[in-house]
Amino acid sequence: MADLKPTVLVIEDEPPLQRFLRVTLEAQSFKVIEATSGENGLRHAATAQPDLVVLDLGLPDMDGVEVTRRLREWTAIPIIIVSARGKEQDKVVALDAGADDYLTKPFGVGELLARVRVALRHLAAANRDTGDPIFEARGLRVDLSRREVTIDGNAVHLTPNEFKLLTVLVKNAGKVLTHRQLLKEVWGPGSAEETHYLRVYMNQLRQKLEGDATRPQLLLTEPGVGYRLLDQ
Amino acid sequence: MSDPRAHPPRSPLRRPDIAGYLWAVGVVAAATTLAWPLYHAVGFHGENVLMLYLVGVLWIATHHSRSAAVLTSVLSVVAYDLIFVKPFYTFAVSDQQYLITFGVMLATGLVISALTHRVREHSEEARQAWERVEAEFLRNTLLSGVSHDLRTPLSAITGAASTLIENRDHLSDAAQSEMLDTIYGESERMERLINNLLDMTRVESGGLQVKKEWQPLQEVVGSVLHRLERRLGGRKLKTDLPPDLPLVQIDSVLIGQVLMNLLDNAIAYTPPTSTIQIRARQAGDGREVAIDVIDDGPGIPAGTETRVFQKFFRAAQPEKRQGIGLGLAICRGIVEAHGGTIGAGNRPEGGAVFRFTIPMTQSPPPMIDAMTEREPAWQT
Ligand SMILES: Nc1ncnc2c1ncn2[C@@H]1O[C@H](COP(=O)(O)OP(=O)(O)OP(=O)(O)O)[C@@H](O)[C@H]1O
Ligand SMILES: [Mg+2]
Repeated sequence: MADLKPTVLVIEDEPPLQRFLRVTLEAQSFKVIEATSGENGLRHAATAQPDLVVLDLGLPDMDGVEVTRRLREWTAIPIIIVSARGKEQDKVVALDAGADDYLTKPFGVGELLARVRVALRHLAAANRDTGDPIFEARGLRVDLSRREVTIDGNAVHLTPNEFKLLTVLVKNAGKVLTHRQLLKEVWGPGSAEETHYLRVYMNQLRQKLEGDATRPQLLLTEPGVGYRLLDQ
Repeated sequence: MSDPRAHPPRSPLRRPDIAGYLWAVGVVAAATTLAWPLYHAVGFHGENVLMLYLVGVLWIATHHSRSAAVLTSVLSVVAYDLIFVKPFYTFAVSDQQYLITFGVMLATGLVISALTHRVREHSEEARQAWERVEAEFLRNTLLSGVSHDLRTPLSAITGAASTLIENRDHLSDAAQSEMLDTIYGESERMERLINNLLDMTRVESGGLQVKKEWQPLQEVVGSVLHRLERRLGGRKLKTDLPPDLPLVQIDSVLIGQVLMNLLDNAIAYTPPTSTIQIRARQAGDGREVAIDVIDDGPGIPAGTETRVFQKFFRAAQPEKRQGIGLGLAICRGIVEAHGGTIGAGNRPEGGAVFRFTIPMTQSPPPMIDAMTEREPAWQT
């Protein structure tokens, strides 16, 4: 699979953004298929079997969240949604409906490629099913199978819930996770509204892993959406 | 805009002018009290006593309703007749001339009060006309100001892009990347401008949706500082948020925006060598949390402490950074939507302080239950 050009399906109705996405992705040697409506996009997704979908939430014919749901009925391919600033709630809904990540317009090439890279990597890891990964970034090392967390080689003691939270983040490193997703994973279903638990634990985790909760470098907040553990 | 307090609304004929009637009684009583010794001891003539009453009528006519003026005229004639016309203390109009006195008094009261009313009406009209002119002027200057502010970065983008398209072969690598930097930088500036305009519109139309959730303030500060990393460069920045700060109930996106705008200003209006501080404390006996953004730059011009929060107000600005004057107005809108207050001042040792508060009307939700393994240290 590595030597095959990965295919990206771009579902976007605005020509300038379409062009920007096509040029950028082709420059990174992706094969690009374009669709300008939700219906069209769904059809292409079924026939062309892309490796990744970039989906604008503001399509003329269909709600992007609806497109996400319809795709998720039959495929697990990564979906990166694109939406405007101030539409945090829409992003959260799309992410909870199964989208993998998001970009806020206007965005730069760096961000776009980082999202694509992470999404494809998670897809590959899921296909290979490599078991618990070892996560390393900025001096932090997390060995999930041994339940070991170290910073610059020094062991860090985490409470069970803190470790559980870190585990979910590590398994999804680089990817955004909504409050709801994290609450469900760590505290179980039925706790989706208790965001203050999550926030307090995140704060504690930052204090332990990053020293200062007001200057995070790894455990990032995605305002109004959730969290992301940076993977580099 | 004009201060509504300068022109108290008056509707002299609508409601019964109770205050005016009371004043009428008072004025007549005062005139009588004053005239009494003058008439009996000093030997004033009856006509002069009448003049005293007339002064009362004039005053009421200019300051109160027409009906109050009529009442004053009636009361004056009655009082005069009773007290200063023989036979004293009887209401007997012995002379026809007192009817004339009464008529003159009444006419004076009515004419004066009608005149006063007309003058007031005219000044009200003039005021409204002035306000219309003012609003129109404001709208025009705002629109032309905003279009100017948008056109400046747009011109730079168009210029740089067309240079690249047409002269690419003659441009050095350095010149090319300079053009590209211009395009990128100016697009960012335009984005900020448009975002500010949209936010301001949202604040003003009351379309601000505040989605409050309990959270540690550290998270909001951290998220803002991470986004500002590139702009901060190597600047010194200190955060001082005590670990025992209670959770606050806020919309993190909006309060993040407030912090962002304040820090953006602190970066823009101070030299790169200066230090910025973010400090949070419980204040008002625990009824609120106060957040300060402090710098040691030139500070805001004296006397502009309130005006800086008005939209489109900008004071001294460095050449390279031309704001549009919306940042602080948006801050105020957001903070007030949270039930808090925002203010600005200068430090005695130099530099500006911006402080906003978040009310703590409810106590934070407990963290002690099955979801918690232990009681966190800051929850006592
Ligand atoms: N920290 C500060 N030090 C000195 N002056 C300041 C500071 N913060 C704000 N000001 C002054 O207050 C004015 C209003 O600030 P405000 O943030 O509302 O608008 P702006 O920065 O000019 O434009 P915008 O934020 O919309 O880009 C500024 O133009 C500046 O002169
Ligand atoms: Mg500003």
